[in-house]
Amino acid sequence: MNTDLNMKVNVLPVFTYNFLHVNDSAINASDIEIEKLSSPKPKEVPQGVSLKSEVSFEEAGQIFRDNKERILSSTGVPGEPNGDTSARDKEQALRTGMGIDVDNLMNSLGVKADVYTVEEGVKVEKPIILSYDMQDGDGALSAHVIHARKNSEVTIIMDITSDNEAKGFLGLSTRILAEEGAKVTVVRSQLLGKEFVHFDDLGGACFEKGAIRVISLELGGKNVWTGCYTNLSEKESDFTSDMGYLRRGDHSLDINYVADHRGKKTNANMQFKGVLMEEAQKTLRFTIDFKNGSSGSAGDEQEDTLLLSQDVINRTMPIILCQEEDVDGRHGATIGQLGEDLLFYMQSRGIDEEEAKRIMIKARLESVARMIPDPELMQRVHYYIQNIV
Amino acid sequence: MADNKQVVADIDRSLYDFKDIENEKDFYRMEEGLTKETVLKVSEEKNDPEWMRDFRLQCLEHYENIKMPNWGPSIEGLDMARISSYVRHKSDMKGKWEDVPEEIKNTFEKLGIPQAERESLAGVGAQYDSELVYHNVKDEVAAQGVIYTDLESALHGEYADMIKEHFMKLVPPTDHKFAALHGAVWSGGSFVYVPKGVKVDIPLQSYFRLNAAGAGQFEHTLIIVDEGADLHFIEGCSAPKYNVANLHAGCVELYVGKNARLRYSTIENWSKNMYNLNTKRAVVEEGGIMEWVSGSFGSHTSYLYPMTILKGDGSKMEFTGITFAGKGQNLDTGAKVVHIGERTSSVISTKSISKDGGIGTYRSSVTIQKTAKKAKASVSCDSLMLDSISRADTIPAMDIRTNDADVGHEAKIGRISDEAVFYLMSRGITEEDAKAMIVSGFANPVSKELPLEYAVEMNNLIKLEMSGH
Repeated sequence: MNTDLNMKVNVLPVFTYNFLHVNDSAINASDIEIEKLSSPKPKEVPQGVSLKSEVSFEEAGQIFRDNKERILSSTGVPGEPNGDTSARDKEQALRTGMGIDVDNLMNSLGVKADVYTVEEGVKVEKPIILSYDMQDGDGALSAHVIHARKNSEVTIIMDITSDNEAKGFLGLSTRILAEEGAKVTVVRSQLLGKEFVHFDDLGGACFEKGAIRVISLELGGKNVWTGCYTNLSEKESDFTSDMGYLRRGDHSLDINYVADHRGKKTNANMQFKGVLMEEAQKTLRFTIDFKNGSSGSAGDEQEDTLLLSQDVINRTMPIILCQEEDVDGRHGATIGQLGEDLLFYMQSRGIDEEEAKRIMIKARLESVARMIPDPELMQRVHYYIQNIV
Repeated sequence: MADNKQVVADIDRSLYDFKDIENEKDFYRMEEGLTKETVLKVSEEKNDPEWMRDFRLQCLEHYENIKMPNWGPSIEGLDMARISSYVRHKSDMKGKWEDVPEEIKNTFEKLGIPQAERESLAGVGAQYDSELVYHNVKDEVAAQGVIYTDLESALHGEYADMIKEHFMKLVPPTDHKFAALHGAVWSGGSFVYVPKGVKVDIPLQSYFRLNAAGAGQFEHTLIIVDEGADLHFIEGCSAPKYNVANLHAGCVELYVGKNARLRYSTIENWSKNMYNLNTKRAVVEEGGIMEWVSGSFGSHTSYLYPMTILKGDGSKMEFTGITFAGKGQNLDTGAKVVHIGERTSSVISTKSISKDGGIGTYRSSVTIQKTAKKAKASVSCDSLMLDSISRADTIPAMDIRTNDADVGHEAKIGRISDEAVFYLMSRGITEEDAKAMIVSGFANPVSKELPLEYAVEMNNLIKLEMSGH
C-alpha cells in the first residue's frame, strides 16, 4: 500500500525559541510504499519467554494502559514547566520519544505487533536477535512490546541492515515494561543503505529497581529519526543509554531522549558520541526531568561530537527540568573539531592529521560498538566502521 | 529533622515598596487599552517627527498580527485592555535635582539615586512612569563629547539622524509581539553616544521607577560606543506592588564600535505584580567587547534574554547573570549570542536560585554561523534548589554550523551539599553560617562583577537569614 507520511515527531518536552527550529521535527514523505506490517521473528524463542504475534498495535499497548496510573504515579505534586508540551502525547498508551504520531501511523495502517513476555525470575542468557535484512525498495513498519516480569532479565538485539545503495523505508516502535527488579537491554545496530528513510521510536517504564538499557548505533540511512522516553516510575529504577552515530553526505539524524524521574533514588545516564562529516546534520534533544517526589535521584547527560567538515550543522538541546531539591542533575557537551593539542601529540608520535581523524572516529564509534553483546554482530559493526574510515 | 531545615528568607522588598499617590492634578494618565487612537495620542504627546508617528502605527499593525509566544511562562494575567500605556507628571524634565517635583524627588531620594550620583556616577537619568524627570551629566564627561540625554530631546536635536539610523534596527518590531508593542508606545529612555577613543572612567546610570498602578513602562535605551571608546552603563529598575498587573516592555539597543568596550549592568527589582517582557540586544564590531552583568530579583513574570551579535572579527562577549525566583515568581531568563565574525568568543555564566515555590528557568541559545571560523563559546549554568516546592529548569540550545569552532557547555542542578556543610562545621563554623557561606559563595561570581555599591545592594537583596533548631 502507498501512503503519505505527514508526522510531527520528537517534540521537545518544553518549547523554546521558535527561530531555532528545534521544538519538533517533521517527517514528510509522499507516496511511500509500505508492504510489510509485521516484524521479523527470532530464530528461536528462549525458554521462559513467550511470543504472541500478530497482535494489533492498540491491543499490544493494553499492558501499559492497565498500568498507566502506576507508571505515572508520583509521591510529589508535579507542576508544569514553562512551555510544557506533555498534553500532546497524553493519549498514548505509553509515552514514547517520538510521540503520538507514530502510534497513529501504526494504528491507521493496521500494523501487527509482537509481544514478548519474560516470566518472573527468568534470566535469559542469550540475546533475542531480530534481523531486519532490508532489500532495495522495501517499505516496512514493525512494532514490539517487551514485558519483563519481576526480577527477569532479557536482551533484544535489532540488527538492521541493507545494501549500501539500497533505498526504502523502515519504521520501528518498541515499548517496554520492566517490572520490579527486571532488566531489559535493547541493542539497535542500524546499518541501512544511504537512501533509506528510517525511524525508531522507543518508550519504556520501570517499576521498583527495574532497569532499561539502550545501546544504539546509528551509522546508516539517509534521514533518520529516533526517540526514547523512559518513565522511571518507582524507586531505584534505572535508565542507561549509549548512542554512537555517524552522519555523512547530506544525511540527517534527529534525536529526542527523555528520562522522566518520578520515583525516589532513580538514576539516568545518557551518553551520545558522534561524528558529523561532509554536509550532514544532526539535532540532539535530551532531557532529564526530575519530577517532584523524585528525591535522591541523579541524572547525567553528556555529548561528545566531532565535526569534520565546514558544512555540517549540529544542533544540541541538553535540557534539565527540576522540581525536586534533593537531586543531582548535570549535563555537558563538547562540540568541535580535533583539538590542536591532541593533533600535536598524535603528530609527535608520527601519526598524520588524516590518520588522527580516523583514529578518533573509530574511538568514538567503537566505544559503543564494544557494548554489543553478540560477537558476530559486533564484528560486523567493527568491519562497517573500518570500511567507512 | 524538618525543624532543623534551614530557612532562606525571601528578599526584603520593603525598600522599594513604598507608594506615592498620583493625583489627577499633577499627573496625566492615558486611558487603558491599545488602539490606533492611543498610539496617535502618545505620538502627539511626545511631539514625534512624522517618520516616528508612522513607525508607531506600523508597529501597532505588527503587534496585532504577531502571536503570543508559545514557549515561555504564562502571560495570561496580562490584559492590555487594562494597561495604561502612558502616564507622566505634568512638569517637564529637569536638569537640576532641586527642580524635580517634590513627590518624585522623595521617591528617588528614598532609593538613594542622587546620593549615588554625587558619589560615584558620571551621569544620571531618572525615569518616573513614562517620562524622564531628571537627566544630568557631569561637566567633565560632557566636555569629552559624551552625549547622555533623553531620547525625545535627541530625536529633535543634532543627533536626530543618528537616532533614525539606529532606532529599532537591532530589535525590529517584527522580532516578537512585545517588541512591536514597544515600538508602538515607547516613551522615555536614554540616548548615549561616546565619541571615538573616549573612555568614560566612571559609570553612567539610568533608574526606572514605575509608580502608577495598572500602567506600562516602555522606555528605549540607545547607546552607541564609537571606535576605541569605553563605557560602563548601569540600569536599575523598581516599582511598588499593586494588586493589578503592571507591564514593562522596554528595549535596549547597544552598538559597540571597533575595539570599543561596553559594560551594561542591570539590577532589576520590579515588584511582584510586574510582567517584565524586556528586549536587550547588542551588536559588536571588530575587536569590540560587550559585557553584561545582570541581576534579576523582582517581577511576577520575566522574559529576559540579552542578545549579542558578534559581527566583527575578534569581537567578544561575556554574560554574567543571577536570578533569584521566590514565591509567586516565574523568572525565565538567560542570554543569546550569535557568532558571525572570525575568532569571536563568548562566555555565558549564570546562577539561579529557586525557593518558596518560585520558578527559575535558564534559557539560552548559542549560534555559530559558518563564517565564524575559530569561534569559541563556553556556557556554564548552575541552579540551586532551596526546597522541593520550587522549580529550576535549564533549557539551553546550541546551533553550530562550522567545524572550526570550540563549544563547551556544562550545567548543574542541585541543593546545598550536606558534605560541604559537614566539612565547614568540622572547622568550627555553625550550620547556619556554613549554609549562608555556601549560598553567598554560589552568588559570588556575579556579585564580584558588580560595582561595589551594587554588590552591596545585591547582597542585601539576597540576605539570607538562617533559622536553626
